[in-house]
Amino acid sequence: MNNNEFSIPLIHNSIGIMTPFLLAGIGGLMTELAGMLNIALEGLILIGAFFSVIFVAATGSLFWGLLFSLLMTIFFAFIFGAVTLYLKANVFITGLATNLLAGGLTTVLAFYLYGTKGVLMFEGLPALPVFRMPSLHGIPLIGDILFGHNILVYLGWIIVVLAWVLIYKTPFGYRLRGTGSNFDAMVALGIRPQRYQMIAILISGLTCGLAGAVLTLNLGAYVPNISAGRGWIALVVIYLGGKTPFGILGAAFIFGLAESFSNYAQGFLDIPVDFILAFPYLITVVAMVLMSIAQHRKEA
Amino acid sequence: MATDRKSRYLASVYGLGISLGVAFLVMLIMIFIMSKAPMQTLYYFFVGPLMNKYYLGNMLNAAAPLILTGLGISFAFKSSMFNLGGEGQVYVGGLAATAVCLMIPEMSAVIGIPLSLAAALGAGALVAGLSGYFKYKWKTDELISTFLISNALIFIVDNLITGVLHDPESSLLVSRKIAEQFWFLKILLPSNLNISILFILLLAVLAYFYLFKTHQGYEMRITGLSPEFARYGGINVKKYFLIPMVLSGGLHGLAGAVSVMGTQHMLFKGFSGGMGWNGIAVALIARNHPIAVIPAALFFAYIEAGAKSAMINSDVTMEIAAVVQAVVFYLITAKVIQDLAARRSVKV
Repeated sequence: MNNNEFSIPLIHNSIGIMTPFLLAGIGGLMTELAGMLNIALEGLILIGAFFSVIFVAATGSLFWGLLFSLLMTIFFAFIFGAVTLYLKANVFITGLATNLLAGGLTTVLAFYLYGTKGVLMFEGLPALPVFRMPSLHGIPLIGDILFGHNILVYLGWIIVVLAWVLIYKTPFGYRLRGTGSNFDAMVALGIRPQRYQMIAILISGLTCGLAGAVLTLNLGAYVPNISAGRGWIALVVIYLGGKTPFGILGAAFIFGLAESFSNYAQGFLDIPVDFILAFPYLITVVAMVLMSIAQHRKEA
Repeated sequence: MATDRKSRYLASVYGLGISLGVAFLVMLIMIFIMSKAPMQTLYYFFVGPLMNKYYLGNMLNAAAPLILTGLGISFAFKSSMFNLGGEGQVYVGGLAATAVCLMIPEMSAVIGIPLSLAAALGAGALVAGLSGYFKYKWKTDELISTFLISNALIFIVDNLITGVLHDPESSLLVSRKIAEQFWFLKILLPSNLNISILFILLLAVLAYFYLFKTHQGYEMRITGLSPEFARYGGINVKKYFLIPMVLSGGLHGLAGAVSVMGTQHMLFKGFSGGMGWNGIAVALIARNHPIAVIPAALFFAYIEAGAKSAMINSDVTMEIAAVVQAVVFYLITAKVIQDLAARRSVKV
């Protein structure tokens, strides 16, 4: 097998696969910097996945469908944030509640609207436009790898840059990080840190909504529990990426590569599909433990 | 002191009442929107689980493993540890019990049953204990590690069910049936309720004594309340990263074994069916108190049985139970509601 013939599609696919991790990771980074471990990412991705395909099918328009579904995920993020911040509930438990709600509500609604709890297929769903640059496609390697993805992939990259600017170059970013590192000092300064936490949660709703849309709009269908643990992996991507936007870009790429590789591995290695599904979780645990060992050594 | 304790108790009861009230309101709204015959749906939701011996016994039987997982989570929460891997631990416990029973089909029940229970206990304890050990050794966040390990194991057990344990005579994704002498004795025919419920109730009482009447239980609670204070008091705090997780995982493993040997008599794909997640809700409603876990588990089993009955007899899907549970989850730790309830209970 020619080396490039194998590696170019592998990397090209990784970039598509990494996008939900990247988007959810950036949203989770915002809440992480604001001092909250956001385990609701998983549920928010599922809500985004469900509503984006339903609304796009209902409106027949990618733009309006996506817009409505993003409003929906932001709404659910708002519920999560409001209960956590204004009713002062434990953020882990409300995060779990969001995941439970997402799983239950999507099934209840699918059953109510379509009479099935299984896969929802939509005929003639508008496809995500693919971004091509014929003039740049000719560039060897880079052209093949970087172009020919759907627009949400590029939107993800733009969001990485925007997040970097927001976090490091704006007063909002300073205050957001201040909220996470020293909540009481922010209160003393007369800045309402809860407001920053709420905005961070709403941003995570937005990016998770996009992450979910990538999953279903690419497929043109909704599969129950299509988020399949991506929100949890996004949490680990945030840690692996050192809690910086570009670090998350790199870490998400590694996960994309791992998943892309295991998809290929099915073709020529005789590994049961269950082990391939278990693989990202195992590798994540190993990475987490190794990181905490490194941290431990540093402290000692 | 006594009145303080009483008012705190009243406050938590009122707080619970508010959370449950909101949850039921959400359910009513959902049913009135989605059901063509809302009154009939509601009737089957509330009355269905109590209609006859079969439904009642099955509901009580569904509560049994929830008491175990609820106790398991309570041990973790009491020590300020998180165990989000309940699903995988239940699954692994069920696997261990099934595997042992299948390996010794000729063995007498007197040896076979304790052996498979011990295997399930050990398997669950090992899985959760691993996360506890990582925390003990290198401060690895157990909240995420329990979840990740559990999810990986679910896929691996899935593979064993469709692989080595698979029943070649069945087209379903199920393991072979365990030998009949290992089935727990049923006590309310025709339902699935079996003698394990009695042992489980006893276990809840034992858990209470361990947590509130022994030295180790005391140290565990103090560590959970304030690790700084506990360390200052000379308690080996790190020890309580490990012990509660081992106990928690062991109880989850046992829940898996009880479901296999008492109810299912085999393992099937997706068999843990929310037992782990519901254990968290049960522990939260019970405020991590081992005795209160019993009514909390009954309440949960009731909601699930009600939703199932409404699905069978009317036109809604049983996942409405998940939405109701989510609402309870949202509100159960809300301090504002508890304070509200505290003020109310002081007035009374």
